[in-house]
Amino acid sequence: MTAISREQILNDLAGILKNFHGREYYGEIGPQTRFFGDLGLASIDAVVLGETIEAHYGRKLPFHEFMAGLGQRAVRDIEVGELAAFLHRHLN
Amino acid sequence: MPFVRVDGMKFYYQQSGQGPDVVLIHGITGNMAIWPLIDVIRALAADFRVTYYDLRGHGYSDTPPTGYTSADMAHDLRKLQQALGLGPSYLLGHSFGGVIALHAAVLYPEAVRGIVLSDPYFPGLRHLENDVPRWSGWQEYKQQCARAGLEISDEAWFDVGDVLRQAATLTPERRAMFEKELGGPALQRLVRLAATTCGEDVQAVAGLTAERIVSVRQPVVALYGEHSPFLATCRFLEQNLPNCKAALVPGAQHRAHEENPAGYVALVRKHLRDMAGLSGGPARGEPLAVEGTT
Repeated sequence: MTAISREQILNDLAGILKNFHGREYYGEIGPQTRFFGDLGLASIDAVVLGETIEAHYGRKLPFHEFMAGLGQRAVRDIEVGELAAFLHRHLN
Repeated sequence: MPFVRVDGMKFYYQQSGQGPDVVLIHGITGNMAIWPLIDVIRALAADFRVTYYDLRGHGYSDTPPTGYTSADMAHDLRKLQQALGLGPSYLLGHSFGGVIALHAAVLYPEAVRGIVLSDPYFPGLRHLENDVPRWSGWQEYKQQCARAGLEISDEAWFDVGDVLRQAATLTPERRAMFEKELGGPALQRLVRLAATTCGEDVQAVAGLTAERIVSVRQPVVALYGEHSPFLATCRFLEQNLPNCKAALVPGAQHRAHEENPAGYVALVRKHLRDMAGLSGGPARGEPLAVEGTT
């Protein structure tokens, strides 16, 4: 299987997030964009995002691990770049 | 995305694991993300088939204008069990999710094998909880609401409808306060419910009287925060249900799953395994030591 670059993953995420289930985001989406603080998403959206990403790449990914990590953060927010790194690790 | 259709409504759900069925029910204004955030799904999925879903009016489920009493939502749960082909299930319900779980045991006893109640207060037992405004966390809760532009009264601490109405009619200045304190999505959740009868419905006894509550014969664990506002309810359940034991989550108030997630998950897992007769032996997936083979 061809490796997927981090840039490609960031592009894919930006595409998914700019119109996430009918909620359009008009700003630029980059590695520092925060899911909750910037995009206005909530934890339930993170669950759905996990599924959307699995559907996009056509495979199961360990999102339970990702959600558990998110739940342990003192400030419950995460940057797009962190998700991209997580995906880069598990997609390749 | 996995949706199940019940009475013409879409319910968002997820499922993990294999074994006896466990259904997790979140509280009012929450959503099913509370479960994966505390990693309870992975903790249970080794022993159980775990199903968790968004209640009507919450998360990615549909939002009908009415039908938010514990009886209505116990009916949703029963239909969801049937639509997904679940067997009789163990239920874990947080806060109002616990009221729904117990109501399901009353209305559909054949579908409920046991219940872990996570800090519920029951409209049918409100007379037990006159002291909530004297609870140690009450002033802090009131202050947080005040910072979010909401006014909470000691007399009507249970009035969810009033909170929803206030949230839906905030002045722009107060809306900014709310969003700063609790975030935009939290406000959207309340505004969404304010357009329904949820705020009034969740205060209704809806048939779940004290008499019916104490009639539940399935095993029940009353799991409350050590410093919960609802310890009088916990004691009542322990003393009056035929098959109920109480357990306290150290250091926690009403939201033990956030205040002490590790302690909460360990207790939930222990009590569900006890109920299902899985304690004392190796968990599913662990190697079995077979006698006489070595």
